[in-house]
Amino acid sequence: MSEATAPKVFIAGKPVEGVHEVHEHVSPISSYVKVFGALLVLTALTYGVSYMDLGNASLPVAMIVAFAKASLVCMYFMHLKYDDRYNVFVFISTILFVAIFFTFTIFDLMQRDAVNPEQDTFFRANFGEAFGFQPPEPPEGAEAGGHGHE
Amino acid sequence: MSDKSKGSVAPDVPATEPSFWEADKGLASWLFTLDHKRLGVMYLVSTMIFLFVGGAAALLLRTELLTPEGDIFSATVYNKLFTVHGAVMVFLVIIPSVPGALGNFLLPLMLGAKDVAFPRLNLLSFWVYTLGAMFFLYTLFAGGLDTGWTFYTPYSSTTGTSVVSATLGAFILGFSSILTGLNFIVTVHKMRAPGLTWNRLPLFVWGIYATAVIQILATPVLAITLLLITIERTLNIGIFDPAMGGDPVLFQHFFWFYSHPAVYIMILPGFAIESELIAVHSRKHIFGYKAIALSSVAIAIISFLVWGHHMFVSGQSELAGVIFSFLTFAVAVPTAIKVFSWVATLYKGSIEFNTPMLYGLMFIFTFSIGGLTGLFLGSLATDVHLHDTYFVVAHFHYVMMGGTIIAFIGGIHHWWSKMFGVNYSEKAAKIGALLVFIGFNMTFFNQFILGQQGMPRRYYTYLPQFQQQHVLSTIGAYILGAGLLWTAIYLIHSLRRGEKATSNPWHGVSLEWHTQSPPIQHNFHGTPVVTSDPYDFPEIDRTGETDRH
Amino acid sequence: MSAIATAEHPEHLAHHFDTLEQQAAAAKLGMWLFLATEILMFSGLFLGYFIIRMFYPEMVLEAHEYLSKTAGGVNTVVLITSSFTMALAVRAAQVGDQKNLIRNLIFTIGFAGVFMVVKYFEYSAKFEHGMLPGKFYHAWDHGYYIEGLPHIFFGLYFCMTGLHGIHVLVGIGVLTWILLRAKKGEFGPSYYTPVENVGLYWHLVDLVWIFLFPLLYLVR
Repeated sequence: MSEATAPKVFIAGKPVEGVHEVHEHVSPISSYVKVFGALLVLTALTYGVSYMDLGNASLPVAMIVAFAKASLVCMYFMHLKYDDRYNVFVFISTILFVAIFFTFTIFDLMQRDAVNPEQDTFFRANFGEAFGFQPPEPPEGAEAGGHGHE
Repeated sequence: MSDKSKGSVAPDVPATEPSFWEADKGLASWLFTLDHKRLGVMYLVSTMIFLFVGGAAALLLRTELLTPEGDIFSATVYNKLFTVHGAVMVFLVIIPSVPGALGNFLLPLMLGAKDVAFPRLNLLSFWVYTLGAMFFLYTLFAGGLDTGWTFYTPYSSTTGTSVVSATLGAFILGFSSILTGLNFIVTVHKMRAPGLTWNRLPLFVWGIYATAVIQILATPVLAITLLLITIERTLNIGIFDPAMGGDPVLFQHFFWFYSHPAVYIMILPGFAIESELIAVHSRKHIFGYKAIALSSVAIAIISFLVWGHHMFVSGQSELAGVIFSFLTFAVAVPTAIKVFSWVATLYKGSIEFNTPMLYGLMFIFTFSIGGLTGLFLGSLATDVHLHDTYFVVAHFHYVMMGGTIIAFIGGIHHWWSKMFGVNYSEKAAKIGALLVFIGFNMTFFNQFILGQQGMPRRYYTYLPQFQQQHVLSTIGAYILGAGLLWTAIYLIHSLRRGEKATSNPWHGVSLEWHTQSPPIQHNFHGTPVVTSDPYDFPEIDRTGETDRH
Repeated sequence: MSAIATAEHPEHLAHHFDTLEQQAAAAKLGMWLFLATEILMFSGLFLGYFIIRMFYPEMVLEAHEYLSKTAGGVNTVVLITSSFTMALAVRAAQVGDQKNLIRNLIFTIGFAGVFMVVKYFEYSAKFEHGMLPGKFYHAWDHGYYIEGLPHIFFGLYFCMTGLHGIHVLVGIGVLTWILLRAKKGEFGPSYYTPVENVGLYWHLVDLVWIFLFPLLYLVR
């Protein structure tokens, strides 16, 4: 076997000669500086936007900015843009499974009273009476010992 | 590499090196070993010890159930016992058993590698497992735990028993599981021998790979869930506890997002072993190689979409229930593909009824029952009737015990000579297999009927009309226990008295059979080169190919 | 088919790998898988946050006003900067620039320290105001009244930032370890995987904060 002497790199189990490993990519400093600048601008943006009253749009806007920042960090600081494609696949599928987790759970908890309204009230509406949890009233705010449930 | 005969070729160097058992001496050489084979053996020993603990708890439970009244235990003790049985069997036996013991031992051998990708991480994983087990043992002596292995809130956040130490134990065990999975994925990706393409991987490797994917993706969510339970108990932050404004169903979502895929962490290794047993012992190329391999991965992915079928009656929304029920049936498809492929492999094979094959056939029988009854429980309307009855108990024992543990025992017999270099007594093993088969089915089959008649699970007393079946079940459990004990006895006996094994007693083709038994410390004398697939048995009878079918 | 190891065995090559490239690729894939588990672990807390926000929108909106936007903002800038210096450190290791590698690692550790100091002051303020998690919540004793069940919000706040803070502390630990190794001159263009992997971990810590900051401190 000829590969006994030469260093071996395996792709799909087959020895391959002369492969230039992608992880050796060296980005120029200027590109890091640009990304850093963009991250600072986006941080200022999300901070500034929080003072405007966007109503229901504020959460999506904040999330879009956060995702933009996260993608910059992943692609340039974490070199995902130049990395082995399987590492990218690992990362993206992680996000996908987080999405599955979120979607089903939030969907269920939002739909709980869709068919039978009582089903929901049991869990959420009647905490005070049903489970004995009583936050103090505003005027008697300084009641000693804190919680009513204890 | 002059010799290029059929099948995978390993360099033929005479076996002059000492085996991995003799390579290093002393206790420290075991406790701090980086050798995947030694770690596999250590996992095997520890899971077997805990199998004994969990099994003893099960026999105590069955003894209590001989009569309708509570005779031996109080309700609390009974609750603690079934929790011990469940938690030990799930977290300390079934989840680590096949990947930890056989996976560690065989994966690098099958890949033609010298070791797993991260040997030190592997050692750490074993010690983390031991630490988690310590937490469980502590729980046992610190008043026990009575929540069941599922830790449902709000009971787990209010009960007086030792929940925190148990959740921390499971949390730590989760890390062990993650580290093992991570190691295996990287090993399969980066450590394959030259020529070992994805389509030439033994199906055992595919199964362990799919398991590792689930371990990576699901276990972290268990970690955070258990952490939140611990925080809920100590600080009452009110995320799961309804008394503090939290939502108990949210806990179940968190828990089952891990624990349903975890069910496949438990059964996929069983599938992995089964494919090897069936193919090697019927001397026939496995039917539908790609279908079996890819269905493992498909199961791993679909398993994340169905967790809600554990929550049909716990206050989940009806709409989500319908969707989860529908998706549950999707898991049945890849599972059925596997079972049909095994059966098709048997067809016209030259089947040898040795012990590994007996367990292999047993698996097809018990797992099919377990899998099909799962469909009853996955159907929304049927489940409302069967939920929390003995039907559920019987179902998951048919899958966990009749599936994973049976396959595991079969696998231990299959690779026993490879691991220990000796042969067990075939006659004794057949008696053991018979006892296990009879005992298992006697214990659990009539529990389907019991459950359907309305016997609820987790009760230490019951209505007198159920007694006959409970007695039958208990007798079965004793037979099963005797069978497992007998198996342990003759296997241990073979270590001292067994005849020395050859390196390839079953004439397997995959790489682990191309090194001596037991293997040398570095597995192979040189890097093996693979030239054909792992089920190309040299003596396959091809005369049937021209036959009419 | 003799083992290659006998011919020339690079210093950092473990016995079970054939080449440094194989070893580096394995280590990096392992690191990405580890990051995947970290993301999934944090996702549980984020989901908890979204659910609680869905259940008690008014309470969450009112309670989050009590978190210091300035402290959070400063910490965001600090972490992003540390991520930047970390990226530069990895680059320095890649090109074999020993001086810049050590300097940037020290910067990164320094910024991580600043982050923890700011966090300390933030936590002290919350402790003083009685805004503690769960049953220890007693802000009304200090004259703060938040409608609803604010103890859940502060419970989540401490869980999320606490777990993140633990990751920062672990990060300081591993960065220091890398710094010590770098000072011995262990890293260079042919071997820098540990620097790269610790860098990946550190960027993940930054990523988590990028989402924590708007969700906890900013969103109305």
